[in-house]
Amino acid sequence: MRLRFPWTTNCGLFFTRYEEDQAFLPSRAAKIKVLCLFALLLALPWLVGPYPLRIASQVAIMALGAVGLNLLTGFAGQISVGHAAFMGVGAYAVGALTTKLGLSFWLALPLGGLAAALVGAFFGLPSLRLKGLYLAIATLAAQVILDFAFVRLEPITGGAAGLVLTPPSLGPLSLADDTVFYYVTLALTMAGVIFALNLSRSRVGRAFMAIRDRDLAAAMLGVDLFGYKLRAFFLSSFYAGLAGGMLAAYTRVVTPEQFTLDVSIQFLAMIVIGGLGDVLGSVYGAAFVSLLPIALSYLAQALQGVLPQMVNLLSACQTALFGLVIILFLIFEPQGLAKLWRHIKDYFRLWPFSY
Amino acid sequence: MQRYRWLILAVMVLGLVVVAGCGGKGAAPSAEGPIKIGGIFDLTGATSDVGVPYAEGVRAYIDYVNQHGGINGRKVELKEIDYAYDKNRAVEAYNRLVKQERVIAILGWGTGDTEALKSMIAADKIPYISGSYAESLADIKTCPYNFLVAASYSDQAKAALKWIKDNWKGQGPPKVAFVYNDTPFGRSPIDDAKKFAKEIGIEVVGDEIVGLTALDATPQMLDLKNKGADFAIVQGTSNLAATTLKDAKKLGLKTQFIGLNWAADEKVIKLAGPAAEGYIGVIPFAFPYDNAPGLKTIKEYLASKGQKLEDKNQKFIQGWVSAMIMLEGVKRAGNNLTGEGVRKGLESLKDFDTGGLSAPITFTATSHRGTDRIRLARVENGKFVYITDWISCR
Repeated sequence: MRLRFPWTTNCGLFFTRYEEDQAFLPSRAAKIKVLCLFALLLALPWLVGPYPLRIASQVAIMALGAVGLNLLTGFAGQISVGHAAFMGVGAYAVGALTTKLGLSFWLALPLGGLAAALVGAFFGLPSLRLKGLYLAIATLAAQVILDFAFVRLEPITGGAAGLVLTPPSLGPLSLADDTVFYYVTLALTMAGVIFALNLSRSRVGRAFMAIRDRDLAAAMLGVDLFGYKLRAFFLSSFYAGLAGGMLAAYTRVVTPEQFTLDVSIQFLAMIVIGGLGDVLGSVYGAAFVSLLPIALSYLAQALQGVLPQMVNLLSACQTALFGLVIILFLIFEPQGLAKLWRHIKDYFRLWPFSY
Repeated sequence: MQRYRWLILAVMVLGLVVVAGCGGKGAAPSAEGPIKIGGIFDLTGATSDVGVPYAEGVRAYIDYVNQHGGINGRKVELKEIDYAYDKNRAVEAYNRLVKQERVIAILGWGTGDTEALKSMIAADKIPYISGSYAESLADIKTCPYNFLVAASYSDQAKAALKWIKDNWKGQGPPKVAFVYNDTPFGRSPIDDAKKFAKEIGIEVVGDEIVGLTALDATPQMLDLKNKGADFAIVQGTSNLAATTLKDAKKLGLKTQFIGLNWAADEKVIKLAGPAAEGYIGVIPFAFPYDNAPGLKTIKEYLASKGQKLEDKNQKFIQGWVSAMIMLEGVKRAGNNLTGEGVRKGLESLKDFDTGGLSAPITFTATSHRGTDRIRLARVENGKFVYITDWISCR
């Protein structure tokens, strides 16, 4: 019998091969933990009502988008303030393909992802020459141009009124059903997260990180800068496109105001709050940023009896609060919620000896 | 120890299950407790200039009803959410109201969001009175649970056009332009109005797009001047109308502006000042200074709260009337407090008198257009003065 603290997942593990060290789930405890989490996520529809379930779906969609941005910004170090626009390309592609061409949603979704990826890669072209602030402005241009296109390309996008989708179905099941929708989103987001986790420990992921840390050094080591930067943009926008397509099915309307600069900034907030360069961090960040306004509106409702003016004030404060949270994270925990979670785990793991 | 780990994990999962289970499920609509009505309002967005007083009016009426014993002995509870004129947030708010709060009916707001919600409203059977009177929402086939408590935007524009035609004394056909914002709300009546103008022999000379929150409309007004428009129909909110009027005055336009419902209220006069003189508004609801009998009730209610009717504007009354009609439907549903019940209740309204606060409202099983009548009022000495009785385009 091994005497061991039950929370430890990687104590007493000694690897003798690189494969073991790099394994996806290095120990049995880690496997059990993930299985439990997975079971909990699967059981969620029985645990909560339809509204929280919808929120869970929304968080999953946002997480998918945030993971995409994290691949680009957190791993490859290429900043993008046009992520929402790429998401919009996916959403509009899915909307237009299903409503105008009558394509099946399941075919339109990957096509939407692909369309977003191509557009993203196109706007990623300047990244070879531009870095940092300059790239931020170039991607801002992408945001503005695409925003304009969403409103003006009326035959495809429906202009300011947008597109109204009919809920897609999966065999006999309709995606209008919250439970079905949740499972579909969950499956897609899980696939996205696992792919990103695997990518980060592959050759491509290491190339991304080398570029992020010092692109010149990476080039000297034989990393094809342009190719990998483009790949990062392509992948990131593909994620965004998929998330956009799912969002279209979720709200059943696609309108320009869903994909404005504000939303791009929100995505950046998600990965900063969650933790740059941490795949699971983006999931935490997405949950945080999506749940904050909902929590605030509940707070406003609860306070309505006591302070009637609070409703107006709190909804106006939302944006300011986001700003405050980002500043606080940058000061106190630049590595975000992911690092915070690790600290908490470490505390329990090492207890009572904190070193 | 290996066994304990399983045990602890099992306990942990169970704990989570309990926590989540308690926090989750929304209660089913019950026969006890307050009747829940949802509110999706714009308190901070692009149309908050008119959205805030409208929401106040809704709150006030519900409070008034509760003061007088509620409906069929039950209190009414308003669950309101600010959606900041953002369709996404409206969808979210709608889902929360329907799935979590379990409201039986909703008072909504904008054209774009109500249109986006209409398929869900029909599927969930939630009677929905929107602040939007878009023609598309009057289609009973696609919107069986939407109710329009005023003349649709198209009917409003048509009534104004008919008035123009009937009162035109100049030579040749009158030249009319349209000033509107580029949203579903702004665009809603334009096509119908143009078609109608052609039918009755009015020349349409142009379209001018002005943003809802724009502070300058000089280029658009210059264009209007060049086109020599005799009349311009304005579809927007108070801010847009005031900006338009001020810049038109600055450039010395001779055009007679006619604002539809949301573009015509006291706020326009306040914002535009002398530029608002002579501005004509399409008025489906009463002004606080009218002498409609229904205003007395509002006055008494406000007095009980230490407020004055003079401080309220027409959009407050609009919110009050919308809530009044919805709650009348709820009352007539009796014990059948479901979406279908309230719909039947509303459909039994025949020439329902709102105390002169609006035209009498009639809903039937085949038409949810409450009315097609409006009044026109012109700004004289900083005040809207009616120039017609209730008129319609028909």
